[in-house]
Amino acid sequence: MAGSTKNKVDLSVDFCGVTFKNPFLLSSSPVSNSAEMVAKSFEAGWGGVVFKTLNSDRLPIIHPSPRMNCIDYGSKKEMAVQNVEQISDRPLKHNLMEIQYLKMHYPDHPVIASIMGFFEDEWIYLAKIAEDNGADMLELNFSCPHMCIEGAGHKVGQAFHLIEQFTSAVKKNVSIPVIAKMTPNITDMNEPAVYAKNGGADAISAINTVRGISGVGLDDWVPRPNVFGKGAPSGTSGPAVKPIALNFISAMAKCEDLQIPLSGIGGIETWIDALEFLLLGSTTLQVTTGIMHYGYRIVEDMIEGLSDYMVERKISRVTDLVGKALPNLYETDHFELDRQGITQYDLDKCIGCGQCLIVCNDAAGQAIDWDSETRRPHLIEDKCLSCMLCSFVCPVPGLISYKEMPRDWQRRETTVMDPGLEKGLKYEPFTKEGPNECIA
Amino acid sequence: MNYADNFKQMRKGMDLVQAVAEADRCLLCHDAPCSTGCPANTEPAEFIRKLRFKNITGAIRTIKENNILGGACGVLCPTHRLCEEKCSARFASEERPEGADRPIQIGAIQRFLVEHGTKIGFKVFAPPEPRPEKVAVVGSGPAGLSCAAELAKAGLSVTIFESRPEPGGVLRYGVVANRFDLDFLNRELADVRSLGVDIRCNAPIDSTGGAEKLLKDGYQAVFLGPGLWDAATLKTDASGIDGLFSSVDYLSALRDGRFDDMVRRAEGKTVVVIGGGSVAMDCIESAARIGAKDVYLIYRRSFCQMPAEPDERNEAQELGVHFLLLNQPVGYEVDADNRICGVKLVRTRLGEADDSGRRRPENIPGSEWILEADLVIEAIGNQAPMDLSQAYPNVDVDARGLIQADSETGRTSVPGIFAGGDIVRGPALVVNAVQDGKTAAKAIIAYVTNGEA
Ligand SMILES: Cc1cc2nc3c(=O)[nH]c(=O)nc-3n(C[C@H](O)[C@H](O)[C@H](O)COP(=O)(O)OP(=O)(O)OC[C@H]3O[C@@H](n4cnc5c(N)ncnc54)[C@H](O)[C@@H]3O)c2cc1C
Ligand SMILES: Cc1cc2nc3c(=O)[nH]c(=O)nc-3n(C[C@H](O)[C@H](O)[C@H](O)COP(=O)(O)O)c2cc1C
Ligand code: SF4
Repeated sequence: MAGSTKNKVDLSVDFCGVTFKNPFLLSSSPVSNSAEMVAKSFEAGWGGVVFKTLNSDRLPIIHPSPRMNCIDYGSKKEMAVQNVEQISDRPLKHNLMEIQYLKMHYPDHPVIASIMGFFEDEWIYLAKIAEDNGADMLELNFSCPHMCIEGAGHKVGQAFHLIEQFTSAVKKNVSIPVIAKMTPNITDMNEPAVYAKNGGADAISAINTVRGISGVGLDDWVPRPNVFGKGAPSGTSGPAVKPIALNFISAMAKCEDLQIPLSGIGGIETWIDALEFLLLGSTTLQVTTGIMHYGYRIVEDMIEGLSDYMVERKISRVTDLVGKALPNLYETDHFELDRQGITQYDLDKCIGCGQCLIVCNDAAGQAIDWDSETRRPHLIEDKCLSCMLCSFVCPVPGLISYKEMPRDWQRRETTVMDPGLEKGLKYEPFTKEGPNECIA
Repeated sequence: MNYADNFKQMRKGMDLVQAVAEADRCLLCHDAPCSTGCPANTEPAEFIRKLRFKNITGAIRTIKENNILGGACGVLCPTHRLCEEKCSARFASEERPEGADRPIQIGAIQRFLVEHGTKIGFKVFAPPEPRPEKVAVVGSGPAGLSCAAELAKAGLSVTIFESRPEPGGVLRYGVVANRFDLDFLNRELADVRSLGVDIRCNAPIDSTGGAEKLLKDGYQAVFLGPGLWDAATLKTDASGIDGLFSSVDYLSALRDGRFDDMVRRAEGKTVVVIGGGSVAMDCIESAARIGAKDVYLIYRRSFCQMPAEPDERNEAQELGVHFLLLNQPVGYEVDADNRICGVKLVRTRLGEADDSGRRRPENIPGSEWILEADLVIEAIGNQAPMDLSQAYPNVDVDARGLIQADSETGRTSVPGIFAGGDIVRGPALVVNAVQDGKTAAKAIIAYVTNGEA
């Protein structure tokens, strides 16, 4: 629009040689199940799609019913969703026609075909057929945590040599770039990611859903979702899994043996979530649960919010943000432990609710005195642990903040209830030598 | 107490935390009923969703691009019968879906976002491609400002001619300052000026044919938004009575150099206001706040029939204003120096319903009485000054002097002259004037581009 500052930034990214007009993609799931839906999402502003995982029609795919359950937090809906959905139950032919349709009508929106095979020939078949029908890239689904069929999904993602074998088989048979999608249901994602790279993967996407149980029925004692009297551990997604996803993404971005582009997934709803994934090393971003909750329209705010942020920071390209927080990410042993601080209270703003008192007394340093006349807290500075719990519960923004103390400042030791008990104590100091790296 | 200080500032609005919490209650309806309730297409559904998804700058942009006076509207709109009336969260259900029992406070969120925009220095507008066409706007009230901003955004060169010393129309010389203060107004005016609009004050367009002459003076089109600045009067013979004011005069006095004089006249005294509309409410509330001992409101019908908004009526009562309902003024009492000292009233009762369906008040014979008063304000309606239309002699006006303009385009009977706001609608709302300005601007752009609207 003339005379406006709206969306004046070019958000396009290059991902493995494919250009996306913005980094926001639908991830492979019900939100990318049909061409009709994906077309609507492109109209809303999404930059590309990972189409719902194709299957070869060798085995019938039937989704359990009901398919999902959701976790609320207080009155907040859909903190997380648990699903037992399988890969696409649509005939392969139909899915391929849908991909063709999208390429025909939205040539500047890349379509990434997600595929899942159960053995090498099947992976190759799906990869080739997707390429032949216009897919711009492939995403190998090594990560569904609840496929009913053995030897598939995250079972592969947990057997690293299979990741390498299947990736390499696919790579030998197609010329389009290949992404390997990782399961978070392991402790270290770098190792399988490197296997994928060795197999020839051009990029890694993560995370797929986290195996979990979202709840149990109190009347029927059936874990949710209740599929006719049976529950099963299955995939959790949404805002609750974002910290897990950010951890894996940043670890892979820092992994020197890996160094291939990353597509970040897990709990993205706003431009701020998206930006955090970028800053920790993702080049593209994928979303499912955010759309399952609010619809495709949320991308408008991702685009506008990210653009305004970039204008304010005078950043001209999205790639200039990728990985920019990584230099500030360490393991905890790098902290400067001789620098300590406490909270400070701007009591002019205080409304006297005393929630700080409760949490400090019951979960922290017991560092608050309470003036019951004025209903105001008083901080005993040398007892404050700087855990910041009080600031989390304080309803007034900016009232409680952190301040660093001088180097010679000392925190008081927690007092012992009855020092008299020392006399009868059964105690010998531990004297053996051991590793001392953790002690600064 | 320093009434002046207390009186010149408005109440604080929401802060970020409150606005986010309020936006969290929004049900994000797919059909955006609130947006359909906004006469100026400010798009509340969109800006609330943007706030919800942390796109705060985008939310501010939505408001200001759609409504250059988005802040004023957020403060002054009677939202309960506009956007908030349509809010789905208003419909409590037995199951109580999340957040549903009272409407989202849309006006308050809107005000917050506009104030937040200024606070963080966020720029909504960028310099447009300049175009050669020039447009003159008569009047710097909401209609004129909105039209000018819309034209300037499209690159046209716009000059506003304003007869008073400062711009803003009713926003500056009408609405009392504790409802809408100068700081707030000046910030919104700065947004209009930032678009390159030239506002010329002390520049009345009132000579015979003056408005039409602008078309010959190099302006390709003219927008008329002079509002309604004549006060209706009770037909009592009241000329020259000291202490008798029209609402227009009294409210203007509170916002120009005569403030101290007005405080002197009201402080510790008995003030009588005649009328039952929103303007009367502004008069009684301000009189109470500047220190009147007793404030009476005289209205000839019942409480429920008062056209003022329910919250205004209730607030005035809480301030201690005495509502004298079912009383009709029939004359004034003056002392030897022609200073007001009382109002002669007759009691009324409600008779048969009139055309509007309201029961008509009838005087009760023999019930005359006198209410003592030191200051009397007539707030019984604003109208077009009778001589105003001679500035545009070829523009069709009706018997009340209201300009006849097409509601879809703002076109008048003279090609190239457009009009909107109160001068077309009669007394209406800020948000209506904003919409009229936008509508006319669109038609003006079409007119200067293709010669037709
Ligand atoms: C006391 C009062 C309180 C109100 N409160 C509210 C409220 O709370 N909420 C709400 O939505 N609405 C309210 N309204 C109504 C609202 O203010 C009007 O509907 C709105 O201001 C109309 O805008 P306008 O631009 O048409 O006219 P105005 O605001 O009247 O502006 C017209 C401008 O044109 C100028 N002008 C007039 N003649 C000439 C001329 N010949 N040459 C040059 N300039 C000229 C005037 O000086 C003025 O500045 C209130 C009105 C009044 C009087
Ligand atoms: C109902 C549902 C079905 C899904 N199906 C697939 C799938 O077929 N293939 C796949 O790779 N990932 C699948 N996923 C995982 C998502 O693509 C995504 O990795 C995960 O939900 C985390 O992102 P989110 O928090 O934005 O939802 C599915 C997720 C959900 C919720
Ligand atoms: S401009 Fe007024 S009516 Fe429109 S959304 Fe804002 S507060 Fe509501």
